[in-house]
Amino acid sequence: MSVREIITQLLAAFVGSLGFALVFGMRRRYLFCASLGALLGWGVYLGAEALLASSFLPPLLAAAFAVSYSEIMAKVLKTPATLFVIPAIIPLVPGGSLYYTMSYAVHRDMANARLYGTRTLETALAVAAGISFVLAVRELRARRQ
Amino acid sequence: MSMSIYEQHYLLDCMLEMGDLLLDCGAEVSRVEDTLNRMARAYGATRADVFVIPALISITLNFPETEPVTETRRITSNGSTDFYRLEKINALSRRCCAAPIPLPELRQTLDHVAAGRKPFRVVFWGSVLGGGGFAVFFGGSLWDGLAAAVFGAGICLLQNRLGRTQLNTVAFNLLISLLTGLAVGLVTGLIPALHMDKILIGDIMLMIPGLAMTNAIRNMLVGNTISGTMRLAECLIWAGALAGGFMVALAIVEAIGGRIGA
Repeated sequence: MSVREIITQLLAAFVGSLGFALVFGMRRRYLFCASLGALLGWGVYLGAEALLASSFLPPLLAAAFAVSYSEIMAKVLKTPATLFVIPAIIPLVPGGSLYYTMSYAVHRDMANARLYGTRTLETALAVAAGISFVLAVRELRARRQ
Repeated sequence: MSMSIYEQHYLLDCMLEMGDLLLDCGAEVSRVEDTLNRMARAYGATRADVFVIPALISITLNFPETEPVTETRRITSNGSTDFYRLEKINALSRRCCAAPIPLPELRQTLDHVAAGRKPFRVVFWGSVLGGGGFAVFFGGSLWDGLAAAVFGAGICLLQNRLGRTQLNTVAFNLLISLLTGLAVGLVTGLIPALHMDKILIGDIMLMIPGLAMTNAIRNMLVGNTISGTMRLAECLIWAGALAGGFMVALAIVEAIGGRIGA
């Protein structure tokens, strides 16, 4: 991936996530912080993908980062963290692989359809695991206090 | 503070309304249960049993020196994520937990929140940015992004139009994906510089239950097995309906394209 591609992708993640924050009816003053979470989260994904030979860990780490970011933002701005989690994990939603699963299925290329189908579920699972992991750690710390 | 039976039922009714609203804004089941439990404690219940799944809320409250009161509400619609109302209900519940407000005032505030929806204009421009941004994100050119933005606007108008007809989720998604697939297929057939797959992926992001699916799995991981499996099944059927619509659209577009090419 070239630097130019990386920058395009990061900016596109920002714009796309901004769109979703608007669709979800987010208040104007949180928009920038929420979309920034998506940009940084995708940065973590790309970094992890470059360093680790795995398709499961990058979405997991990126989701874990996105939730941590949201928790911090929620503390600073005094709002529920969900507000920031949702826009931040939007780029991690496996829309591309879901589409190619369907597309290969239409063309009766079942080997590829299965490959992309598995990837779709794997990504969803990784993102969910990343979120749950951070929330579990937070709960443990809250209980100890 | 001791409550009459009438007041207890009034409170229960307000709590059901609050839970209903929260679910309708896309709040998670565990969050709804948590909020309602806090409310019950704030209003002086000695024990509260709150049970929430996406289709039902059941609350039993115990107050000192009276019989327990129970009410149940069937939830038929789980709306899309709506931070606009979600934040207001959150603020209301925080206010009540700090110092319980009189019940008529609680009722009035809830009705007020229920009536105020997020402005359509914002949702419209959000769809434009979301569709366009993600078409580029998944590898499309700037032109693909622009095309996906225009189709995103169309999808938003369509969703708004069809949303009012109260179609069920399967029929709704089947129809929307079929129309979107046909429109995108037609336009990319006429303008070969555009990439059909990238445009469709961008616009699919506006429709797929990816977020709901992630939440469903998360529900299961934190122990809300019933809600998790229910939501996951819902999402898979929903995704299946979308896939079905697109498959038919792709097949039709290809059949027409093949005829013209030959």
